[in-house]
Amino acid sequence: MLEVRSLSKTFTSDGVDYTALRDVDLRIEKGECIAIVGKSGSGKSTLMHLLACLDMPTSGHVFVEGSETSVLPERAKNKLRNEKFGFVFQQFFLNGRETVFENVVLPMRIRGTGRTEISADAAAAINAVGLDDKVQKKAKDLSGGEKQRVCIARALVGRPQVIFADEPTGNLDSQTGASVENILLDLNKNKGITLVIVTHDDDLAKRCDRVVEMKDGRIISDRRPGENGI
Amino acid sequence: MKFWDLIRTANRNLFRNKLRTFLTVAAIFVGSFTLTMTNGLGDGVRAYIESQVKNVESDRVILVRRKIEVPGAERESLGAQEYEDGDEGGMNFDPRSILVTKAQMESAVNGLDGVKSVTPRYDMAGEYITLDGDKKYKIMLAMISEGITTKTEAGSSINGPGQIVLPFQLAKTLDPKIETLVGKTATVAFKTKDNEIKTLPLAIVGIATKGLITNIATFVDSSTAQQIHAMQTSEGDTDKFTGFSIQMESPDAAKIDAVKRQLTEKGFEGDTFADTQQRVYDAVSIFKIAMGLVAAIALLAASFGIINTLVIAVIERTKEIGLQKALGMGRGKIFAIFSLEAILIGFWGALLGTLGGIAVGIVANKVLITAYAESFEGFTLFVFTLPSILTVMILVSAIAFFAGVMPSIRASRLNPIESLRYE
Repeated sequence: MLEVRSLSKTFTSDGVDYTALRDVDLRIEKGECIAIVGKSGSGKSTLMHLLACLDMPTSGHVFVEGSETSVLPERAKNKLRNEKFGFVFQQFFLNGRETVFENVVLPMRIRGTGRTEISADAAAAINAVGLDDKVQKKAKDLSGGEKQRVCIARALVGRPQVIFADEPTGNLDSQTGASVENILLDLNKNKGITLVIVTHDDDLAKRCDRVVEMKDGRIISDRRPGENGI
Repeated sequence: MKFWDLIRTANRNLFRNKLRTFLTVAAIFVGSFTLTMTNGLGDGVRAYIESQVKNVESDRVILVRRKIEVPGAERESLGAQEYEDGDEGGMNFDPRSILVTKAQMESAVNGLDGVKSVTPRYDMAGEYITLDGDKKYKIMLAMISEGITTKTEAGSSINGPGQIVLPFQLAKTLDPKIETLVGKTATVAFKTKDNEIKTLPLAIVGIATKGLITNIATFVDSSTAQQIHAMQTSEGDTDKFTGFSIQMESPDAAKIDAVKRQLTEKGFEGDTFADTQQRVYDAVSIFKIAMGLVAAIALLAASFGIINTLVIAVIERTKEIGLQKALGMGRGKIFAIFSLEAILIGFWGALLGTLGGIAVGIVANKVLITAYAESFEGFTLFVFTLPSILTVMILVSAIAFFAGVMPSIRASRLNPIESLRYE
């Protein structure tokens, strides 16, 4: 599904080079649930941004379903992100003044989907995260856990093949965090959506099929917790 | 994103910070209001003058007067002039110096090409007019030269000797059914040079349409004017006039220009009705340009308000823009949303400014009519036409769009990852 080959990324700020990724190779199969772990500054977020075509690599290649995306024009990458990817961020990035419905349908509006289709898909996505009774509530009136569930619905509504979750439970207490984890993992199990989770939460990482650990811009381990019986 | 969704999003964004949007719209309102009033006043004055000038018109008559030479006017310096003993004090301008004698008129016209007739402009003063000899009304007499027509409410223009055209209000007073006056004979009285009252029977041929000149003057034909003039002036002055008019054979502009040029060489000035009209239009245009500049400055100030509002909005919404970009919204759409916000600010300001201008204009017109109804008969101070209203709306929206370009480009160029991290 997703693949990177000899991927490097160097940021330059104020004339100082900082290499976030060094020659990374990674292949993610369709339907996999993969956690990218590591300390802050290890390059895990940068790897996710490159996988999700949010950023350009300094060198190396990114493939989505076998075709190289790092050479695509911006317009094509926008379309790819909109149609194939969903995003869940640590800071929810919800528009508090708008309703749950309006927040959820943003990707559909960007895509230009028709009104009836939007309503049906939004209802399904909101139902999947169990927020049917909050559809017309303003996002600012929700609890943290509910907000993150709105974000998951927003990631889900466009029927993506991959959901990228960047520290999805980072802003939540352990109990609500766990329920958000359950929803995400269920989507992976039941709908076959490929899940790429960036986290430093070991408990969350352990629940994934595969854990890739990063340090100083390199992958230092690539394990399958289930196989090892951990 | 669909176009309608873009507009909806832009409009919702504007309502997020209502006070700020309102203040920005208010600035645009002031500019649009000024522009609407300027256009309304300009069009009103223009329409009025057009109707006035066209009440008395001719396409082939040149009104000629002596070129006035004010003593001292040709001196180079406009500064103080030294007084010498024996000098006349003040402005030594003799009103009689503008008079034209018959001989001067004939020599001026002699040799001009394409002239059909020449009529002297006879001065005269009327006393009263009466129909039945019982009720007398004051009148002001004016002469209609050959070739000039007056617009009439009833009857026709003067076309022969012994005729008069009455002003509308006077006719109304004489008989509310003004049509019945046409064909009747009125007695017009005037004082001779020896202060005797004399009368002339004149046939009423028409009732003039409302207008500034036609509201007050009773028009008589040139031979009647000559008759009255002769009785009102002393022996040697009978053949002196304030000017004369030349009727051309055709409205051929080249010939009219040639005649005017030759008149200038002979020390006269000639104007057609079109010249007079043009001069007034030029004055109105200068006024409109001056007021337009004021409006332009107001709009310029207001566009900085738009730029400021949008620059702040871009900063405030950095994360939101980052999210939209991450979710696949292209630069063009981001640019479009911010541009539409700018255009909507301009549009609402223009709409309110135009409506406000029209409302004030309508009230001003009503007040003016009530206060000066008599002298401004048929005058609408502010005239609002659809094209000028649409021009204001489109122009202001366009200005707003251009004001929004810089902030919109800033928004569209934001990097999604950096924007999402923005604190």
